[in-house]
Amino acid sequence: MNKFSFRFCFPDLRRGTRFFFLFTVIVLVLLPLFFMVKFSISDRSSIVTGGAVMPLWPHHVSFQTYRYFLFENNDFIKTMFNSLQLACLTICFSMILGAPAAYVLSRFHIPGKIFFIICLISVRFFPDICSVIPIVKIFIWLGLYGTFTGAALAHTLLALPYVIFIAQGVFESIPADLEEQATVLGASRMRVFTAVILPLVLPGLAAAAIYTFLLSWDEFIFVYFLLKFKNIETVTLFLKSNLTDGMRQENFLAAISILLSLPVIFFTFVIQRYMKSGIIAGAIK
Amino acid sequence: MQFLGFWLRRYGLELLFILPAFFYLAGFLIVILYYLFSLSLSASAWSAGWENYHTVIFSADFLIALKNTIFFVVIGTPLELVVGMVLALLLYRSFAGRGIIRSIFIIPLAIPTIVTATILFVLFVFPSGHINNLLTGKHAFFPALVQEPINWRNSAFFAMGISMLGKVWRDMPISMLILLAGLNAIDHEQYDAAETMGAGSLIKFRMVTLPSILPAVGTVLLMRSIEMWKEFVFPFILAPSFPLLGTYLESLYRWGHPEQAAVVALVILFCIAVSTVVIHGLTRGIRNFLVKI
Repeated sequence: MNKFSFRFCFPDLRRGTRFFFLFTVIVLVLLPLFFMVKFSISDRSSIVTGGAVMPLWPHHVSFQTYRYFLFENNDFIKTMFNSLQLACLTICFSMILGAPAAYVLSRFHIPGKIFFIICLISVRFFPDICSVIPIVKIFIWLGLYGTFTGAALAHTLLALPYVIFIAQGVFESIPADLEEQATVLGASRMRVFTAVILPLVLPGLAAAAIYTFLLSWDEFIFVYFLLKFKNIETVTLFLKSNLTDGMRQENFLAAISILLSLPVIFFTFVIQRYMKSGIIAGAIK
Repeated sequence: MQFLGFWLRRYGLELLFILPAFFYLAGFLIVILYYLFSLSLSASAWSAGWENYHTVIFSADFLIALKNTIFFVVIGTPLELVVGMVLALLLYRSFAGRGIIRSIFIIPLAIPTIVTATILFVLFVFPSGHINNLLTGKHAFFPALVQEPINWRNSAFFAMGISMLGKVWRDMPISMLILLAGLNAIDHEQYDAAETMGAGSLIKFRMVTLPSILPAVGTVLLMRSIEMWKEFVFPFILAPSFPLLGTYLESLYRWGHPEQAAVVALVILFCIAVSTVVIHGLTRGIRNFLVKI
């Protein structure tokens, strides 16, 4: 009796083990998130129990932690605006640098293209932690240390490979005939780019912009080295400083973490709905 | 000169579009490497030039950090491979709700790294965090596995254990996606051909599945090992008193020794290069071994 017939003898056993593993993994993935949400809506008596075991669900669900951070803690509101400003600046820089480069990569053949692609991949694989110290030194020399511009430039460095990669895919999905038609009708190449291509790729570029926003919003290492000691705090730095020597109570940390993760959750739902409408296909047709 | 003018006119617009990005990336890369080398060789109040290397490499703290990081890489990389493989195998055959399950599996990747570290920080609190409560049997539905609550963040083994747990948890979707792509690329006709030649499932696995997913496995091992060498956020939050190379670099910088920090950065790059070569050679060797038989 070889392994084949053994399998036919016990089909349900295999199915059972599969479901068991599937269930276990789903639990392992969702359990930390559950605890985070649970801690953030806990009232004080569920955290500071005075010796009793912490309950698995709070005694009274209360949103006071959220209310405190969103409306009363001015430091936190300021850090959210800092993060927002930094992310928007990063989007500007990466789009301006990345979109035209992706356009060229997808359409034209230029000498030395392979060097550019190698460069792109090398920057992606270069460790963050190894490049922070030189970047700090350069920025001190350039006077960009501790400024939003400097941090945005550093984030652009991280985001540019992704922006170019996503944008290249978007540009390649637009047929070359459109450009040829426009050129035949007498438009210069710059005008072809701005008047014909750009409106069509805006949805795809929006995806790249969202990715850049999330990358900058969630980034920790570069802002820690560049902004922390100049007292500009982003939400990640705020979370970290509370972890080490601030409000270490679980519900505060959990609430900050959830607020930090809000853009990810928001954009995931927004993108899902947007992709379903199929605007891109409609525009090209 | 004439040729240059012709070249510029022909490729003018393209160059205008692509050169800023190119100079930005290449420039940073070159400048970073230049600074790392020059910084590591520069003089400071404590040591001069080449002595920086000597000071760092033979210091006890560095050797501890190096040992910890090697432990991290050697255990964490195969662990990520195995976990990714399990997830990929679970999602391999199509079943009802597969799309939703895959979206759920990708969630850990979407969460910011520092949030994951915070979650683990909160769960593994000593003496009465949730995990400690669970293990000491304070909850009715789980037996007591240990007598005393474990001080997770103050023991080298456990602190690095939970850092590794966080890292693997966060990055398992990446391994899963790469391995899933590799599994899906295997041609079913090869399985049919093997069956007509009378192969059982173990032979099929060894002869068809394993060689075909070796490229994907190699990619996963390579990428994950690079990530493990340069890991910073998890040990920084969860194991601050037990240095890995990344956190050791940060502490050197914070205590005012940027030259030594640059040396550590170069060591990290060197280790990444060495492990890349080793893993590449290993996967190639295994593939030759399998296919020859």
